[in-house]
Amino acid sequence: MTAGFDGQRFRLIIPSQTRYLNLVTNLAKRASMAVGLDDSAAAKVSIAVDEAVTNIILHAYKDDPNQVVEIELRFVSGSLEVHLFHTGHGLRNDQISLPDPNEYVRHPRKGGLGLLLMSRFMDEVRFQENDNRSECCMIKRLG
Amino acid sequence: MADLSIQVRKLDGASVVEPCGFINAHTVRQFEAALEKLISEGHYNILLKCDNLNYISSAGLGAIMGQIETVRENGGDIMLSNLRESVFLIFDTLGFTQLYRVFEQEEDALGALMGTKKGHK
Repeated sequence: MTAGFDGQRFRLIIPSQTRYLNLVTNLAKRASMAVGLDDSAAAKVSIAVDEAVTNIILHAYKDDPNQVVEIELRFVSGSLEVHLFHTGHGLRNDQISLPDPNEYVRHPRKGGLGLLLMSRFMDEVRFQENDNRSECCMIKRLG
Repeated sequence: MADLSIQVRKLDGASVVEPCGFINAHTVRQFEAALEKLISEGHYNILLKCDNLNYISSAGLGAIMGQIETVRENGGDIMLSNLRESVFLIFDTLGFTQLYRVFEQEEDALGALMGTKKGHK
């Protein structure tokens, strides 16, 4: 990890509106590169964040524009952690069912691919609830 | 700069759609509308030329998936060309490179599309 970032955290709070996706994904990409991820890995983090925030806005908040999504980037030794907090209907780990890409190719359908991208592009994805807030945590390890 | 702009070129035998920017949940409706307009006009051979596409999320992939049946039922196809590495990675990770033909260059894709002229007005 680039010296100076270890232990740092940054927080961004956005209205639950898709117009802010670009802002969030750009931040995620730049933060990834700042801590030493290459272009390709940074692009993966950026896409995973897009998918996670989109899921929160469209599914957890059911497209209600008057809620907020809190995005926190934590630079922990050897990894970049992305924590997304919201108060909508959250997912639990035991509710996650990833589509099988091979099955998808045989029987294409619209939707259901966001979680698959998140899990493929990040090293760890987990969901939890704390104090009436739901959290999606995604971890990308450096190197 | 707008998040997404889309240029459409109608050629003899195929149409080229060039998205510039980001296709995500915010811009996907614009992308979907461009595809729907072509299809409603009877243009079923569609090339997505992606050299200016910075990224496409699953919402955008869903938009393509939503049109492919109609296009193929009418003898046409949707093909892709000029994908950046990061965009190719998204298509490939989700198995879309098995569903859609991908070309490095526009000319090659147009050659393949125009080989099946029946799918175009």
